[in-house]
Amino acid sequence: MSDYNFKSDWIVFKSMYTLRTEMTTEEKLEILADAAKYDVACTSSGVDRKGKKGALGNCSAAGICHTFASDGRCISLLKILMTNHCIFDCKYCINRKSNDIPRAVFTPKEICEVTIEFYKRNYIEGLFLSSGIVKSPSHTMELMCQVLYQLRTEYKFNGYIHIKAIPGVPDELIAKAGYLADRVSINMEFAAEESLKKFAPNKNFKTILNPMEKISDTIALHRLAVGKDARMERSIGNRYLENSIFNVKKLEEQGMGGKQLPANVIKGDLRRSFAPAGQSTQMIIGAGEESDYELLQTTQQLYQQYDLKRVFYSAYVPLNEDASLPAIGTPVPLLREHRLYQADWLLRYYGFQADELLTHEKPDFNPQLDPKCDWALRHLNIFPVEIMTASFDVLLRVPGIGPTSAKRIMQSRRYGSLDFMHLKKMGVVLKRAHYFITCGGKMMYKIPIEEQYITKELTVVNRKENWEIVHRNQYQQMSLFDDYALG
Amino acid sequence: MYIFTCRPDYDSMLTCIYEAWASKKGHKNIKLCLEPIEQYTLFDEYIHIEPDEKKAERVSQSVWHKISPRVYSEMGYALLSFEEDALDIVYRVLILGFHFGRDVLDMIQYREIARFREIRKLVSREVHSFREFLRFYKVEEKVYVAHFEPRSRVLMPVASYFSDRMPSEHWMIIDDIHKEAIVHPKDETCYLRILSDEEAEALSHTEQEDFYTRLWRNYFHTMGIRQRENRACQKNHFPLWMRKHVTEFREVYE
Repeated sequence: MSDYNFKSDWIVFKSMYTLRTEMTTEEKLEILADAAKYDVACTSSGVDRKGKKGALGNCSAAGICHTFASDGRCISLLKILMTNHCIFDCKYCINRKSNDIPRAVFTPKEICEVTIEFYKRNYIEGLFLSSGIVKSPSHTMELMCQVLYQLRTEYKFNGYIHIKAIPGVPDELIAKAGYLADRVSINMEFAAEESLKKFAPNKNFKTILNPMEKISDTIALHRLAVGKDARMERSIGNRYLENSIFNVKKLEEQGMGGKQLPANVIKGDLRRSFAPAGQSTQMIIGAGEESDYELLQTTQQLYQQYDLKRVFYSAYVPLNEDASLPAIGTPVPLLREHRLYQADWLLRYYGFQADELLTHEKPDFNPQLDPKCDWALRHLNIFPVEIMTASFDVLLRVPGIGPTSAKRIMQSRRYGSLDFMHLKKMGVVLKRAHYFITCGGKMMYKIPIEEQYITKELTVVNRKENWEIVHRNQYQQMSLFDDYALG
Repeated sequence: MYIFTCRPDYDSMLTCIYEAWASKKGHKNIKLCLEPIEQYTLFDEYIHIEPDEKKAERVSQSVWHKISPRVYSEMGYALLSFEEDALDIVYRVLILGFHFGRDVLDMIQYREIARFREIRKLVSREVHSFREFLRFYKVEEKVYVAHFEPRSRVLMPVASYFSDRMPSEHWMIIDDIHKEAIVHPKDETCYLRILSDEEAEALSHTEQEDFYTRLWRNYFHTMGIRQRENRACQKNHFPLWMRKHVTEFREVYE
């Protein structure tokens, strides 16, 4: 018997096996949750919606985390794949076609019932539905929309739904998904086209950016229709920051593309706004060759051009054997991910621009110092600043002062002078801030304003945190039950 | 020093503030305390205050009109707090409030205001935490019952959130520490009930395992990525004292 026959026999046997054994919901949930857990976005934020009689659920714009998993990440949505069968072969993905892993499919009824029951018990804030690709992208997307439609109409679910749009499907389906869900996201995966080609041969940038643009324009149209600003709401502080990436004046000059998705794609009287919580995306850190500078530039562009609500980063966890990818057992680049998120916050809340933080010549973050300290050390000429007179945007540039404490300083200094004890009470992190500020013309300690000296001191302050992030999981007690599965 | 004491309900506390103010013994010589008092001091005089609706109403009215509605609502939240000095701090803040007017809460330079804001923040954090971490169990196939043990008396704000979230369900939230319950019949407004010992006992066995609790626990354990394990972070976000009634952290013996 030749090898070929043996192989095909095996496939037939396997498919018979999967057909015959009826998996329980419990087993399916385990498989499909396990397959979905590497997707990072699990936020239930961005939209405020009151509950109504006869329906189940409401939404809160701040987002509600319902529990925290053993890795410290919040679980706020029931994050599952509809199926982990997939015809794509993306190298980094656990569900790729060439992996031999247990596969399962949820029926729409199962998804709806689990969501509703979990929601009523206050386990979750809603549903995060993604899927592997069965038959074709359109077929899969159609099925996902059916699930959402059933959940919204038959089960009268009024909570949060986040749907992952699949690249390369017709506009009608994306539109349908948007009208049924609160947030739509399409994964960028990589910031550079070469990486995407290399690692995800079935995807390309065109099929990702094209729908992204259309979704963004449709959201803008819907927002205008209900009397809101065309752009998504951002942290209020941005209004007072001239340099903010969300500065509307600059953006209006670019103009909008005016590429809308079709309306009236949903039968019946279900009237919903199009993706009221906006759209988001995610990028993988540490699999491709991108530098932090490229990633951050891409992030900023996505915020400005497509008005994305969030860009998520996912440190690559090596799961597949592949020559082009980091080997299994390579430490997950958690510190790098952390730095990128810090920078992302600097863009969205602090009025920084990507090219202020990094440049072509210095394309990666300093692992020893957070991006804001790093920036401040390169601009010692503007420091120290006087707390009593500095403007809001200057206060926000001081390491150790965030939007909340800056706001408190602005409020309270109208009524009297502030000293370092007051600042401490307001939540200013003095161990970082005291190098850069004066209160009533005095610094907290007598120190030289010298780049080398302050760098040395701040590195010591940051060392413990950095060490913990990098070495978190490298040393641990060996356990027969966990490590060798003897339990 | 004169120490005015009262029971920890809203009317009593406001009456206590009223009486303390009206006693004219000088703000410096007055302290306000909640009952029960753990340790009496030797040279202070303790004055117990009984609740009086009219006096409480007068305090509410003057805070609302003479200071501001914002201070009134912040005061309401701060008085829910479990902190020992909450009542006294509210009293001190009102003194400042009647002096400075509506912007008083921005004057963080005053020690009392800073502390007041801290107390207020603790209460709102607790309300938010229990919005997240409250867990309902299904009882007799139709009623969803949740137990929790808050430090502050946050039952009302928590329940008002859930009456928006699940208007068309029968549900009930029970505060095991303060022995109170909010009952919400389907499509109706909810009401508060002070539980007697027998009722509390009868309601204490609602946390029954079923298909969905097992499913959830299983899901919860699947979601953690082993390569990224970080228990400290988990503990920061989900403190141990809040885990008692939470499905995924309860130990089950089957």
